[in-house]
Amino acid sequence: MAVDHCSLEIEAGEICMIVGPSGCGKTTLLNAIAGFHDITSGRITMDGEVLCSDDKPKSTPGPDRIVVFQNGALFPWKSNLENVIFGPVMQGKLARKEAIEKGRGMMADAGLSGVEHNYPGEVSSGMRRRVEIVRALMNDPKALLLDEPYRALDSLTKSVMHEALLEIYYKNKVTIFFITHDLEEAIFLGHRVAIMTTRPCKPKKVLDVDIPHPRDYSVLTSKRFRELIEETNDAVHEEALKAFQAGEKEG
Amino acid sequence: MEAAATANGAVDGAVAALRESTPFGDASPGLLARVAAIARAARYPAGARIYSAGDDADDIFVVVSGRVDHVFTPEVGAREPLKRMTRGGVFGWAGLLLGQTRRLATVTAAEPTEVLRFDTEALVALLESESLDGGRVMERFAGMIQREFTLPAMLSQVRRLSGPLTEEMSSLSLTMYRLSLWLKSPRPYLMVIGFALFLGFWYLAVEVWKLPRFREMPGLTSVVKEWVSPNPTYGLSLYTEEYYQHIVVSVWRVTKAFVLATLLGVTFGLLLGWSRTFKDYVFPVFEMLRPIPILAWVPLAIVMFIATESAVVYLAFLASFFATALNTMLGVESIDESYIRAADCLGANRRQVFRHVIIPGALPFIFTGLQISVGVSWFSLVAAEMVSGQYGLGYVINTSYMMVRYPTIIIGMVTLGIVGYVTSAMVRVAGDYMMEWRVRELALSER
Repeated sequence: MAVDHCSLEIEAGEICMIVGPSGCGKTTLLNAIAGFHDITSGRITMDGEVLCSDDKPKSTPGPDRIVVFQNGALFPWKSNLENVIFGPVMQGKLARKEAIEKGRGMMADAGLSGVEHNYPGEVSSGMRRRVEIVRALMNDPKALLLDEPYRALDSLTKSVMHEALLEIYYKNKVTIFFITHDLEEAIFLGHRVAIMTTRPCKPKKVLDVDIPHPRDYSVLTSKRFRELIEETNDAVHEEALKAFQAGEKEG
Repeated sequence: MEAAATANGAVDGAVAALRESTPFGDASPGLLARVAAIARAARYPAGARIYSAGDDADDIFVVVSGRVDHVFTPEVGAREPLKRMTRGGVFGWAGLLLGQTRRLATVTAAEPTEVLRFDTEALVALLESESLDGGRVMERFAGMIQREFTLPAMLSQVRRLSGPLTEEMSSLSLTMYRLSLWLKSPRPYLMVIGFALFLGFWYLAVEVWKLPRFREMPGLTSVVKEWVSPNPTYGLSLYTEEYYQHIVVSVWRVTKAFVLATLLGVTFGLLLGWSRTFKDYVFPVFEMLRPIPILAWVPLAIVMFIATESAVVYLAFLASFFATALNTMLGVESIDESYIRAADCLGANRRQVFRHVIIPGALPFIFTGLQISVGVSWFSLVAAEMVSGQYGLGYVINTSYMMVRYPTIIIGMVTLGIVGYVTSAMVRVAGDYMMEWRVRELALSER
């Protein structure tokens, strides 16, 4: 069983970081919330509305909670702008023209003007991630589900992306469910950090990060940040060791 | 302290310095020469201030020798404000950034320093005129500013060039660009040498050395003479109407077979890939029929279609149908699950997923299939024409053999080679046109 006895409550508008070693079952949890996988038992609710339960084991994927995928899922055959307007146009929420206007505006806010007519394959991987987040935000989702979105980026690009994500978050208060195996990333970004156990995946320890938002890169060198890392490092390491011993594959 | 870098030696020196810089490191020699031509050389003594933060961002500098200290103002947010630069270092690029007109840093010469100066607008205009190469340089500028100068990505966005690359690069201009690259590379000349070796061997083996296996073969000169003769000995040459009649008949048959196979094959393949149930019903039968060689269908085709014409087209159709359908199915199955999930998340319904994800996602495989399909279509057409029919290139080859007209056999074969290559190239061009995104990605990764 990948996920069991997992009980977790996320406040509206908070950034909740899910930390666990590779293969611990974090992605399974995300897939259940997003509606890509059935659950065998239990219940997931959002704003009081039941997404899935014992009676309805699979929630329906929808624009109220949008996934940003590990390897990126911008459609390579559509230009960045076409990608961004995809949601509202498909749902019939906006006419194409209005969607283009809104999309251009949001892309400009995220520092993406100038690449509207490029294809995703023509821009840097950091830019692609931002386009994907903008594509999600175009639908005014209640929650963003991010599945290790910066895993494939080099550490310099990653640090830039963290600040960019926070900047976007401060502009559009949206609930963020963010999966990672990087403890520093988790503490830097999150209001709360849930450290998960390995298979079955359930919260082992939930840490309140009392560093005030808005944050920037100076947080990384602050005393409090180091203290929080020290406080949680053991718990994370223990799970990583367990996962390693269990011989779990990457995933 | 400035001097125009006009002498040849100065231009060479400038090119060498540019080559060591990040943005121009892999630019083409032609572009480098043009960039070097607009460079102005300048010297600064140790301690001289080259510019200060807040000045107008007019020129871009490349260090030729010496050393400079480059210090960002705190507002910029660079993680490492001080950067020391030696030969190949590039500074003063603020004018290239989106919405930036002022210097972001103060630069002083730490030692006696030689630099090249470029007017930003002149440089941008030059890069714009070089479309693809220029766009690449701009991208490398952006990467350099972000990585080497530790500026946030938000800030390090360079201006868009309004050249054909970035605005509306059509597939046609890309094709022309590739063609010009190709002509500049050694490849076309190697190709000519390859042909010369092949033809030379043919000529020598048959007509000069008269090697045992080749003695009975028609020689190069007799084939060429026959082919271009207004009065061909065996009745078929570039000057006879009949020659073109055979080509037209064959091309028309392949066209009919190929179009039909594409329409049915793509539809069928999409269904196979998209619907599990449909695949379970049909695929086993499909897989059993597919390996049957086309020649084995000949008797059945003649029985089924009384007219030879339909039988021949049917055989050509059959082979290409299988190739297209199979590749289309594989194309649908190759689509990354995340794309479908992302479309679901974004609220697309099943029909929209099919239209916006499945079809474009399968296109690369479909076109691979069509390339194969047009080839096998020719292959089976010729086989069918050899068995039955009164016209067509396959018929020409077969009857020439029976009537001992050896040069005509070679004329038929070479003509098939040329016509087959042209049709296959047409399919490739159509594919490039429909998958511009892929062409552009490949164009970027190739260089």
